[in-house]
Amino acid sequence: MARVATIGLPALLLSRLVSVAFALCLGGTIFALCGYNAPRLAADVVAASFGDLFGLEDLGLIWSPLILTGLAVAVALRIGLWNIGGEGQFYAGAIAATLVGLHVHAPLGAALVLMALAGFAAGAAWILVPAIARAWLAVDEIITTLLLNFVAALLVTYLCTGPLRDPANAVTAASAHIPYEIPSLLDDLHWGLAVSLGLVGVVALLYARSIWGYEVRLAGANRHAAAYAGVAVRRRIMEVFLLSGGIAGLAGMLEVAGTVHRLEGGISNNFGYVGIMVAALAGASPLAILPASLLMALLLNAGIILQSYGVSKYAVLALTGLVLLSAAVGERLAYYRPAPRLRPAA
Amino acid sequence: MIELLTGMLTTALLAGGVLVIGALGEVIAERAGVFNLGVEGLMALGAVAGIVAVAHGAPALLGLLCAMLVGAAFGCVFAAATVLLRANQTLCGLALTVSGSGLAAAVGQSYSGHPAASVFGTVSIPILSALPVLGRAVFSQNPLLYLIWIILPLGLHALLFRTRWGIDLRAVGEDPAAADAAGVRVLWVQFAAVVAGASLAGAAGGFLTLAYINSWSDGVTGGRGWIVIALVIFGGFKPLNLVVGALLFGLITALGFVGQARDWPVPPAVLSMLPYLATIACMIVPPLLSRRSRTHFGAPASLGMPYFREQR
Repeated sequence: MARVATIGLPALLLSRLVSVAFALCLGGTIFALCGYNAPRLAADVVAASFGDLFGLEDLGLIWSPLILTGLAVAVALRIGLWNIGGEGQFYAGAIAATLVGLHVHAPLGAALVLMALAGFAAGAAWILVPAIARAWLAVDEIITTLLLNFVAALLVTYLCTGPLRDPANAVTAASAHIPYEIPSLLDDLHWGLAVSLGLVGVVALLYARSIWGYEVRLAGANRHAAAYAGVAVRRRIMEVFLLSGGIAGLAGMLEVAGTVHRLEGGISNNFGYVGIMVAALAGASPLAILPASLLMALLLNAGIILQSYGVSKYAVLALTGLVLLSAAVGERLAYYRPAPRLRPAA
Repeated sequence: MIELLTGMLTTALLAGGVLVIGALGEVIAERAGVFNLGVEGLMALGAVAGIVAVAHGAPALLGLLCAMLVGAAFGCVFAAATVLLRANQTLCGLALTVSGSGLAAAVGQSYSGHPAASVFGTVSIPILSALPVLGRAVFSQNPLLYLIWIILPLGLHALLFRTRWGIDLRAVGEDPAAADAAGVRVLWVQFAAVVAGASLAGAAGGFLTLAYINSWSDGVTGGRGWIVIALVIFGGFKPLNLVVGALLFGLITALGFVGQARDWPVPPAVLSMLPYLATIACMIVPPLLSRRSRTHFGAPASLGMPYFREQR
């Protein structure tokens, strides 16, 4: 086998499809070895997700936050940096939206806009310190953004058991019900999905067609070349990180205002972490976020369905990791071609 | 006051010990040029492996060995992907963290909340254990702590900086092409380093559940794997510096516990944030103070880059 220097989009797509299929088959085999009827489980999951409107709505409710958390990671990846803190920024956005929702009295539309702005700002604020540290001090952003996830989760625990605790709710530690709800698009499915899809389009346009987007991609490809060409690399890093954190924060706001309607521990549902896999699978391309996040939404939805068969909810998390590992290996293997046969000299 | 100091030091040595084991493992892998972001997942797997082993009748030491073996096994998978197939190390590390944590949580569900069936005991050293503060905190503890805090770091330091084997390992991390030309088997060294590091990460998890927390619960590793990675950078990739950093983190963790036990007017959740905030501070403050450490001072030159022989 010989390695080629570059591969085209079709080869990359093929490698993605093959590696995802491989990981799912491997996962299914492990399930089968554990004594489950894997083909039937898979068929049930597909039927429950796509079979009727309820299933589709549930899928949409998971898909929407994954689009945004995936987009948040992809935005930063374009400048070559990892925002692993989507989970924390999601929490920050949820907290800010809850505070606004509980304390501001306004007409529904104005309140929702305020909550969205607060969510975006809180997400951006949550990544501010890692962003500054990365841009000016070259501090590894993977670790700083990730560690803030734990801080955010603890902050939510503190708020839900302390200052924001709803005294009327004795069962779970959660905030009071927020009086503002995002109007529904289709029964349970709210307009958050449309907002998420729209934002993907905006970001895709921004990166493909604006000077700002060009500069970011340039800085991502080669920071030194970009700086030499006059790009303000540090400013672009700051802007990209704040946008990334803001998008994840907005996802938190949509979850609070559209789906959960109050702040509670575990509200992020690992969306922040799965978003990393979405962006990695999508290769940081904004439009490819859509199929990648749909796949992950399907997997998470499968996890919920499989719980009724006694499968641990964590098993699916392990499966998503397997998909990511397989995709990373598959991407490298796609560069190999059968070696050209040497012709014997005439 | 004496009681307080003793309690803090006792906890600090145990909490910091987990970090020392994991960080020494990560140093081995990173010195060979492989950035293993999967420590958190390996630690979770080791933690649950230890608990499962003792639940089936194994003594604590055997449980720790099982944790190491499980860490090594998953390290082999990671090494096969990143070293042999040269897949993206960041992606594979994140994948290992997620799937390791998920798998550990799935396996550990039925063991959650029960105390470990067998844990490490303490051994009091005569005479020394009668000393104030240090006597209880240092000289009547789990004997493994001496191994972790003194013998392992010194041993690894000697191995890395005083042996032929260590030079080969570091050469691979700095410039694999040069090492290759000098006859070092680059891929073999990287593979071995990753597996050795992963087995220590597994051991760190086993130590966590069998010697420190003494039970398994979901999310018991609580980001320690990430603190380990930060600690390696903070310690400048040197085994002996790590020990100092780990003691600092241990003390900060202990401070949180003391605060909770003594009813300080700070909410427990806020006290629990301390180790994470301290880690972030430790990442940011050194580069803020010195220009030299801004370019990852001490990091192996080829860290994170897969080696392709034909691209020399």
